Amino acid sequence: MINQTTYVTRRQASVSFVRNRNTVRHSKRSLGSISQIVIIGMITLVFGLIYVAEGTKATGFDYEISSVESEISEMTARRDDLAVEKARLTSVAAAKSSTVAANMENATVTGYVAD
Amino acid sequence: MSRIKILKSVTFIALAIIAVRLFFIQIIEHGEWVAKANEAHTLLETITAKRGEIYMMDNGEPVPVVLNQTTYSVIVDPAVTDKEGIKNALEKHAKSYITADIDQVFSTEGLRYYIIAKNIPHKIATAIADENVSGVWFQKSNQRVYPEGETASRLLGFVNADGLGQYGVEGSLNHILSGTDGLLKTISDVNNVALSIGNDNVKIPAVDGKNVVLSVDRGLERGIEELMQAAIDSTPATNAAAIIMNPNTGEVIAMANLPNYNPANYGQVPDASAYSNEATEIPYEPASICKNFAFSAAINEGVMTSSSTYYNLGYEIVDGWTIKNAEQRATLNNHTLDMKTALYWSLNTGSIHALKLLGGNPEEITQQGREKLYDYYHNKFRLGRETGIELIEAAGYIEDPNEGWGRNSTYANMTFGQNLGVTMIQTATAFSAVVNGGYYRTPTIVKGTLENNKITPLSREGVVEDQILTNDTSAMMRGMLINNRSYKVRAGIDKPGYDIGGKSGTAQVIVDGAYDNSMSNLVGSYIGFVGPSGEMPQYVIMTKMWGAGQALSGSEAQSLFDTLSNYAIDYLKIKPNN
Repeated sequence: MINQTTYVTRRQASVSFVRNRNTVRHSKRSLGSISQIVIIGMITLVFGLIYVAEGTKATGFDYEISSVESEISEMTARRDDLAVEKARLTSVAAAKSSTVAANMENATVTGYVAD
Repeated sequence: MSRIKILKSVTFIALAIIAVRLFFIQIIEHGEWVAKANEAHTLLETITAKRGEIYMMDNGEPVPVVLNQTTYSVIVDPAVTDKEGIKNALEKHAKSYITADIDQVFSTEGLRYYIIAKNIPHKIATAIADENVSGVWFQKSNQRVYPEGETASRLLGFVNADGLGQYGVEGSLNHILSGTDGLLKTISDVNNVALSIGNDNVKIPAVDGKNVVLSVDRGLERGIEELMQAAIDSTPATNAAAIIMNPNTGEVIAMANLPNYNPANYGQVPDASAYSNEATEIPYEPASICKNFAFSAAINEGVMTSSSTYYNLGYEIVDGWTIKNAEQRATLNNHTLDMKTALYWSLNTGSIHALKLLGGNPEEITQQGREKLYDYYHNKFRLGRETGIELIEAAGYIEDPNEGWGRNSTYANMTFGQNLGVTMIQTATAFSAVVNGGYYRTPTIVKGTLENNKITPLSREGVVEDQILTNDTSAMMRGMLINNRSYKVRAGIDKPGYDIGGKSGTAQVIVDGAYDNSMSNLVGSYIGFVGPSGEMPQYVIMTKMWGAGQALSGSEAQSLFDTLSNYAIDYLKIKPNN
């Protein structure tokens, strides 16, 4: 039997070094099935929220467009009203029945300055 | 069996039923359910094109005479609407727009929808809406507005409930005024707001109709209509029509038909004839006005002048028919007369003589004469044919020179404007050629389309500009037509400093297939021109007066012409040449 206290071979020294070094144990770990479902669910939820947010954003623009279109329609109706009012006020019929016209004298003779 | 097993079985069966049902919905009935979903959420509506407006001219500027206005109808559901609230709101803001007996509407059992007010302008509708009456709906619509009221209604036409232009300019230029509707197909929410989600959205914008500017002068149109109404009121006439046009351009600056109707309430007329534009749609026999064309033809052919003579018996016998002159003076009958005198007294024997001369035989009407008169009437003056003006037109008719019985008598009658059918616009355009140097120009009543205050002329096909008479023929005709009105100058009716010429026509009317020889049905017409002395005419004016069962001679139409020509001289500021 080899007296290990008196002689250490190189091989033995090498083994001794391995034995004495700090080591970390790497054990194989994996997620449980519930955790996987939860994570996939969370990811799906996040993507879903992003999709809904984008969709809502587009729809929000639609409501804004609708609101602007209503405003345009309102303004157009008001503009048309004013155009009609102006046409009525400047119509020949209105001019003839105005108080200004009523106080005017009828023209009888048209005179021309000789060229 | 344990209870848990029963529960499991029930749950399994329930899930199986749901799965089967889902299978049916998703796979078997997929198309049906997609259609239902689309029906519920798809907004499909027509984007209505805005109808173009119609303008007339005023001091060289276009002014609107037909516009659009957004109006609203008030709809109630008597089961839920606040009756007192809407009644008070309407009486406060829109009393004149109420179209129903509100108390009666609300007392009618089972009624869930009723329109109680119509054509409410936007401003008033807003005021009613601000009253916040519950259970009231506003239905939006577009309405044509006529600020000039009834003026020129038979020229302008109207737009019916389907949005289609009817009669007048609205009808003839409907394709320009109406534009093209657009289409919106999209997903919508519960409030019918269009959403851009989805793959099948369609939005085709509407193309608005174009604004049309007429060459008609608004003030002149209004003025002559008032004068025409005064003429109707002072004669047995019930109707009158008039055209004023520029013979040098073919541009119509006034076209009036009386009585007018209210285009905003177009249903209130006795019959559809009230919508017709007499000037372009109704052919008639203009009578002696046609002597201008027969005389022009003979002069232009070099076979007659204003001083050519013939022997006037006072009548002619053609094809066994006796054709008499209306004027039977002893100083005219059995005398040798020149053509100037024949035109002055409007002698039928004179115009028949012109037809004989056209045929190369002063003693009788020949085939050559008929063919030449037809050539002038139909091919050169374009009588009995549509003129091409931008309005609804009737063609009328000119008899064939060689086919049918009694050709000579028919053509003899045609020289003084009977036995043919022509419209006023055909007559006025042909007369323009007689007095403007001989140029036939297609008449027009549209200056163009208006966009951004700029008028763009319409592209037109088949526009004619032909010299059909020589300048000398035209000058000779002007001289004779001025001579026709020499007594008007002497009487102070025609103003000095102007060349005003004209010719009247009194037409017998066909009753029950034959001319009414009782002379109790007559249509009076007059056509003439106005211009400074020694210059080319600036305006041609044609008038027509008639009434059912009334004898209206050319003298009534002539009086109306006198009034209109003097009005036009002042209104259009035609300077005299002294």
